Amino acid sequence: MSNKAAAGSQSSLREANRSLVLQTVQRWGGLTQVELAAATGLSTATVSNIVREMYAAGLVDTAATTRSGRRAQLVTLARRLGLAVGVHIGSRHLRIVLGDFAHAVIAEQSLPLPREHRMDASLDRVALLVSDMLERVGASVTEVVGVGVGVPAPVDAATGMISVGGVMRGWDATHLGQTISKRVGCPVWVDNEANLGALAESTLGASRTCRDSAFVMASHTTSAGLMIDGKLHRGYAGLAGEIGHIQVDPQGLICSCGNRGCLDTVVGSDALLEALRPSRGALSLRDVVQLAKEGDQGCSRVVADAGAQIGAVVASLGMVMNPQMVVVGGELAESGEVLLGPMRTAITRRMVVNQIAPVEVVPAVLGTRAEVMGALLLALQAAEVPVMSDAEGEESAS
Amino acid sequence: MMGVAQGPLLAMHGISKRFGAVEALTDVTLEVHAREVVALVGDNGAGKSTLAKMVAGALTPDSGLIELNGEAVTIPTPAAAYGLGIATVFQDFALCENLDVTANLFLGREMHGTLRRSDEEMERITREVLERLASRIPSARTPLAALSAGQRQSVAIARTLIGSPRIVVLDEPTASLSVAQTAEVLTHIERLREMGLGVILISHNMTDVRAVADRIEVLRLGRNNGSFVTQRASYEEIIAAITGAPRTEAPRHPSGAPLSAVG
Repeated sequence: MSNKAAAGSQSSLREANRSLVLQTVQRWGGLTQVELAAATGLSTATVSNIVREMYAAGLVDTAATTRSGRRAQLVTLARRLGLAVGVHIGSRHLRIVLGDFAHAVIAEQSLPLPREHRMDASLDRVALLVSDMLERVGASVTEVVGVGVGVPAPVDAATGMISVGGVMRGWDATHLGQTISKRVGCPVWVDNEANLGALAESTLGASRTCRDSAFVMASHTTSAGLMIDGKLHRGYAGLAGEIGHIQVDPQGLICSCGNRGCLDTVVGSDALLEALRPSRGALSLRDVVQLAKEGDQGCSRVVADAGAQIGAVVASLGMVMNPQMVVVGGELAESGEVLLGPMRTAITRRMVVNQIAPVEVVPAVLGTRAEVMGALLLALQAAEVPVMSDAEGEESAS
Repeated sequence: MMGVAQGPLLAMHGISKRFGAVEALTDVTLEVHAREVVALVGDNGAGKSTLAKMVAGALTPDSGLIELNGEAVTIPTPAAAYGLGIATVFQDFALCENLDVTANLFLGREMHGTLRRSDEEMERITREVLERLASRIPSARTPLAALSAGQRQSVAIARTLIGSPRIVVLDEPTASLSVAQTAEVLTHIERLREMGLGVILISHNMTDVRAVADRIEVLRLGRNNGSFVTQRASYEEIIAAITGAPRTEAPRHPSGAPLSAVG
């Protein structure tokens, strides 16, 4: 970037507009020219010119589409710009999606994982599955701009390492990003799974119209991702939104993090399944969710109580960050209103009544895929898209 | 329905089998409930396959009791097993290369209308079964020769669902499969469980077993050597039971290593 156009000049303004359009298309995947103008604040004529230039340069593709009955020009990033991979290493599942800059999922795969799965075995499977999926769509690793990885633990964004010991047994000391990058052969970004859920829901899902929203992931563990002023708020060491480790029972059990009576010791899958074991035997979390949906009283009760307890904590979170919307995802949220009803009640009862816009509590649109889609978005947004510059021609000539 | 206290679907008590001087099984017990995946693990020669063959009707025990839904039964032949609602997938699949997916599923039990074979009906059921298993096989008309090893395993599992079984026995379903194919098969096993079937899963791969099984039954030299609820059993405990290492309830460091090793 040595011979960048002088600041304030005509060409630098054009370049800035181009990169703005490109970034906006990248963020939304596919937009019509009219929507693109609205999203960037540029005039439709400017957008139209820029799109024409970028199409000629092979950066974007255009396709005819319709918006509310009118013909429109849909703009997407040209797929030759590359693919990205989203990986969600959950507590009990591995999910991988292969997508392009239009957020179109090209291939998808999930694999059940054992409880406390081993790092070496799981990372090995990630690498093998990614290369297998690339082969399936006829793509090579060189087309992959990056891999986003979500893990069920707080992650220090700067180093890509898990920032709290003991939460994922045996995973603490490893530089996850580097390890996966070495195996897959392209850049890797690591983040917390709930953060990625928040990213996905606020980009593609329930909270895409909100500047401020919280994504609550109620699953084997509980965690939250915070979108503040349209940006993901990770905190200093990636600990923001770790509501699973807020104390709710001072006399409770010792948590994996070393503290006593964390929310996870009360509503985590171990606690929920243990509560049902004397009367129902050994169930899985999926069983509990399905039985609750079918109206089994005991399972409904366990899920509903968990909803109320999570809601009480989310209410405090809500008073701190004042979100417009709380999006609830994770495996427990698959039970629908069984979980959301009591959670909504607990949240609204504890928060200061906002007459203008009471906080909405809604299910995740992307369901249990929110985290893996967020991982895909993380890779797409972190990838550097080459923006052609006015000076490009001269550069290659000289 | 699952959950409410209920007797086992299949119960085997005091099962013994000798092959000449070899004591293949000695006084073995195995129970499988509806909507439960029970893994049978153990070293080579532990008796896993012998036990599975008894469930499938390929072998009969020298002594012992087999109960299905609380009623004593004998399973003298594979046909009898099929009649009792027990379906088995052996390691070599026993599928036909030259036939398509539908024909393989209905091999030997083709459906007939009043005048001719009901091909459309069989194809419809095939598509339905593949759908229920979340299978990645594109067409029910693909000949088997064109499918990968993982897809063949899918077909073999789908075949067990023809005739509405209650128990499915899978012998090493993930052996010699790639990770992607293993992912498919493990997903199928989760689906079988959700359909309310009892599944007996024989496998060497502890990661796969711990991923999908509710209970792990260890056989060692033809005897029961431990029964574990997967939720609460550690990898180390199960390995110790398989190898016969002395088991103690050693306290654990948070890193998972025994305290003695951490110092």
